[in-house]
Amino acid sequence: MADKKRHSVPLNRDEVTPKHIYQNRRQFLKQMGMVGLGALLASCAPRKPGASDIPPDAPVNGRTDELGDALTSYSAVTGYNNFYEFTTSKEQVASLAQNFETDPWSVRVDGLVNHPGVLSLEDMLANFNQEERIYRMRCVEGWSMVIPWVGFPLHKLLAEVEPTADARYVAFETAVVPDQMDAVDSGRFPFPYLEGLRLDEAQHDLTLLATGLYDEPMPPQNGAPIRLVVPWKYGFKSIKSIVRISLVAEEPPTLWNIVAPQEYGFYANVNPDVSHPRWSQATERRIGEPGRRETLFMNGYADEVMPLYEGMDLTIQF
Amino acid sequence: MANIHQKIRVEKLIRVAVHVGSLFPLAMVLWLMVTGNLGFNPVETVLHRTGHAAVALLVLSLAVTPLRRIFRLQFLGRLRKPLGLYAALYAGLHFAAFAVWDYRLNLNLIWMEIVEKPFLIVGLVSLIILVLLAGTSFRFWQRKLGKKWRWLQKTVYLAAGLAVIHYLLAVKGDLLTLQGAYTAPLIAGGLLILLLLLRIPFFYKPIQRFLNHQSAKPGEKE
Ligand code: HEM
Repeated sequence: MADKKRHSVPLNRDEVTPKHIYQNRRQFLKQMGMVGLGALLASCAPRKPGASDIPPDAPVNGRTDELGDALTSYSAVTGYNNFYEFTTSKEQVASLAQNFETDPWSVRVDGLVNHPGVLSLEDMLANFNQEERIYRMRCVEGWSMVIPWVGFPLHKLLAEVEPTADARYVAFETAVVPDQMDAVDSGRFPFPYLEGLRLDEAQHDLTLLATGLYDEPMPPQNGAPIRLVVPWKYGFKSIKSIVRISLVAEEPPTLWNIVAPQEYGFYANVNPDVSHPRWSQATERRIGEPGRRETLFMNGYADEVMPLYEGMDLTIQF
Repeated sequence: MANIHQKIRVEKLIRVAVHVGSLFPLAMVLWLMVTGNLGFNPVETVLHRTGHAAVALLVLSLAVTPLRRIFRLQFLGRLRKPLGLYAALYAGLHFAAFAVWDYRLNLNLIWMEIVEKPFLIVGLVSLIILVLLAGTSFRFWQRKLGKKWRWLQKTVYLAAGLAVIHYLLAVKGDLLTLQGAYTAPLIAGGLLILLLLLRIPFFYKPIQRFLNHQSAKPGEKE
């Protein structure tokens, strides 16, 4: 297993205009019958003059990631989800989460920053250019997908709030809405879901705050309305439905690390050489594809992210 | 007994129900397969469905003897073997889904996975016992092995215990603090312990006596 192929091809980064996102969002909200203040605000948001319109149902056939692997179907991406606040059953999340209220939504940014504050989703959509990123998503359970996210790199937001010199980690927190999330009170897991990154990981250009996928607003089951995507780490690091981002000095607690620290490390970098007691990390099932394929070190993003881990033994700090 | 024919009919009905019920999970999997409804991760679905069926049938097969003794329903004894064989069948299908469908018989990879993961070693030992018991469950072997046969059949408790441990370890979460979806495997484990206890005369004799006493009250003779 030592001579794995480690590809490094530039990522696809097609720009998607904010206007397009807004229009989709309004349409989506209307369809859901949720024309609230947020939708009104969104309709007032500035539009980029002369922006091109991509039809919302543009065919996705033939689109691939930079390694040439096809996108995972929209129905799989939105029909097979881990979101334990709703249920542990991956194919039931979509229906249980469909009425999850995400409008209005805001994210509190606090801790060791010069400009703490509360950012509404509309603020973020208006201030940060939304772009498409096609990333592989590798779940610790041994399955993977290729997903066209829409969002903006987290470093843009961090630059706005200006972490202080003491800030070394970024902590994230998911919403807890017991009357809308069937399983938060089950007592099975210590919610709220918490995640964290080292500041330099958070500032890496691959680290995305995603607000949509497949050119549409983020579906509830995928972590509406805003979630993290860290493509070189196991999926559970990519925390969903974020309500709080805090800059902190110490390594923050993270949910799966609290639950089973011997199985889920803080870093949780995709690494075929670090085995898990339940699932194979050497190989994976790509959803929609028969059989298994080899898991790539750092999920195929090693060239981009390895500078972050210089001098670290990744089998110990896993 | 007022109506011996009725009794025979009920017994037959139960026997048929056992076969139909045991084959139902398999029919379900096949139906979902041909209709393309195994979900987005078909291998995982089949692993779960066959695994659950194997554990459930194993527990049921072990419930036969205690139930037969306590309720003095001799005919139940004949259900033990088919239930055990069906359990072994599902365990075999479960392993086939893993080795053939998922790992494409890549023996190297399969072996690497199994030796690396305690929950798979436990599952493998359980599977080996079940296959061995299924293979020797026929009269030919019963005669040939004599006393040893009965002893051998008792290892089914070990197989069931290991299957429950395998199940507990397969669940995502933390076993020490029980944070995770542990309800089903814990119920299976609890039932298994209960059934083991009910094999000990100290536990089943009083229940038997009590029930006997109750049914004897109306002055009816068996
Ligand atoms: C070599 C033998 C075996 C192998 C390789 C094996 C493989 C597996 C795997 C890979 C899983 C995890 C599926 C997942 O969640 O991704 C699993 C789960 C399971 N297995 Fe096995 N297994 C074996 C033997 C058995 C036996 C003998 C039984 C029962 C008699 C059994 C019952 C189960 C059950 C109940 C689950 C849990 C499903 C769930 O999480 O809901 N397995 N097995």
